[in-house]
Amino acid sequence: MKASPSAVALKYFFVLLASAVVLYPLLWMVTMAFKPHPEWTTVAGLTWFPQNPTLQNFEFIFYGEAEGLVVSLDRTISGPLFASLVTSICGTLLAVVTGTLSSYAVVRFGLAKTLPLSVLQLRLFPPLAVMIPVMVMWAFLGAVDTWWGLSLIYGIVTLPFAFWLMKTFFEEVPVEIEDAARVAGCSYWRVFYRITLPIVKPGLATCALFVFILNWSDYLLALLLTQKEWVTLPVYMATLTSAMGGQMYGMKAALGVIAAIPPVIFGLMIQKHLVRGLTFGALKQ
Amino acid sequence: MTDTTKQPANARIEPSKQGYWAGVARDGNKMGFWFVLPTLLLLLFIVIFPLLMQLYLSVTWWTPLEGIPWYRAWEVFSWGENYWFQLTDPRVWGALWRTILIMIIAVPAQFFLGMALAYLFMDNFPGRKVFYSIMLTPMMIVPAVVGLMFFLLFQGTGPVNAHLGLPSTFSWLTDVNRAMISVIIADVWQWTPLMFLILLAGMLGVPSDQLLAARLLGGSNWQNFLKIILPRMKAVIIIALVLRAVECFKIFDLIFIMTKGGPGVQTETISLFLYKQTFGEFEWSYVAAIGLTILFVLSLIAAKGLAYMAKKNG
Repeated sequence: MKASPSAVALKYFFVLLASAVVLYPLLWMVTMAFKPHPEWTTVAGLTWFPQNPTLQNFEFIFYGEAEGLVVSLDRTISGPLFASLVTSICGTLLAVVTGTLSSYAVVRFGLAKTLPLSVLQLRLFPPLAVMIPVMVMWAFLGAVDTWWGLSLIYGIVTLPFAFWLMKTFFEEVPVEIEDAARVAGCSYWRVFYRITLPIVKPGLATCALFVFILNWSDYLLALLLTQKEWVTLPVYMATLTSAMGGQMYGMKAALGVIAAIPPVIFGLMIQKHLVRGLTFGALKQ
Repeated sequence: MTDTTKQPANARIEPSKQGYWAGVARDGNKMGFWFVLPTLLLLLFIVIFPLLMQLYLSVTWWTPLEGIPWYRAWEVFSWGENYWFQLTDPRVWGALWRTILIMIIAVPAQFFLGMALAYLFMDNFPGRKVFYSIMLTPMMIVPAVVGLMFFLLFQGTGPVNAHLGLPSTFSWLTDVNRAMISVIIADVWQWTPLMFLILLAGMLGVPSDQLLAARLLGGSNWQNFLKIILPRMKAVIIIALVLRAVECFKIFDLIFIMTKGGPGVQTETISLFLYKQTFGEFEWSYVAAIGLTILFVLSLIAAKGLAYMAKKNG
């Protein structure tokens, strides 16, 4: 059915409007990252694009000091960046491995029928409502401000996503293939490891990227369970002000850009499966 | 075996009872146990024990500041006064009200905007892919960074005031009413894409022949939307709304970075309140009691909801 020209124009008008609304805050932060101090605010006039583009914000957070800035930083981005990477990756591994194994058992062996819902419950409650005992435990175990302490909690809170996502991928594997392998004399583990796993490999990759995004995006858990050594990128970004006094808009914006890049790239990579992941497999695209 | 009509729609996922899977009940269970074990251990570790500990701490006056280890919290036993106290604490009710306020404004706003956007993206048009990617970006950005973005936008000397021609003394984040508006705008900005994504998936799932038939029969776009598309999206709409409502109830990062719950307690939601009690006042037993109450109420709602859904689906 052919739409009338006016309808098409109207459609583009709304699509462009929506895109503008989406891009407006993003653009302000991204350009802010490349602006020198006087352009951070609109006191000297509103400038959308940096009049004097500079890399000094990035320089500052990477080296702790930059030319033309009197202040310096006692802690550069390298520590938090490393912490974010390590804890996100370890947390992802934990969630994906345990989630894959248990969802396979639920799908194929018909085991633990109540597991899917009890796993899902982990996502129902505000983390802060259940964090007191976790913090006490973590302190007791000496897990506060360690890479494994944070990774462990990341793995646990993203387990529901990994579990449900892998569950839907396993459900798509034809059971006949596994039957055949089994009849041919493969052990259960071999069937899983050599037959099923390779089939769901794309799903596994999707799941890992998805869970990584979630872990990388965390702010609250890192805020509660780290103090200094293993502070992650978002927490570091938020505390940049208080350490220095005065607002460091440009540096924060630079940090924001760095923190935002990996999830956006990964998210666009797994665009096709985002719906499935976000709705715990209830919907597919 | 002959009656296949009684098979559930998802019968394919049920293991067939022949060959390989016949033995599952015998030795497959043993194997499956090892598959489930890591997850069970994690759940035990993070659910059972902490819950008991939370229950224990919540009936004491225990705080981490007095040097009493947690397991000796019984020395400051409180006879559950925390539970009584929370019911009469205006800050709890205020925080609860503000959380619900954000929920009942932001979630419907996201829903309607998302629905409108999804409708725009239903048919193919040149550039759809690019615009689609743009639309999805906000929800992929770290929430804390979104908080920073809107923190920057809503500064007195930020671009919003400059565009609206307002003086730099016109404050958003430190104003009694506008702080809440700013937070809601930020939340809507970030999560409308999620609604859009889910609703679009549901919309594209509407059988195209039915839609085509309706169009050929001369139904207006609006009629088609109301009579054909909407009824077939019911399940999707429920999923989208429930997901967003649950997440919205937990809202923390955005607000914490934008306003820290301020000015005063004007944007203090449940999560913000609990955070302040935890690290400002260090009343951990009180937080434990409130947390358990929230847990209980939410579980009740979830159980009711699930039972309702199960009944509806027969």
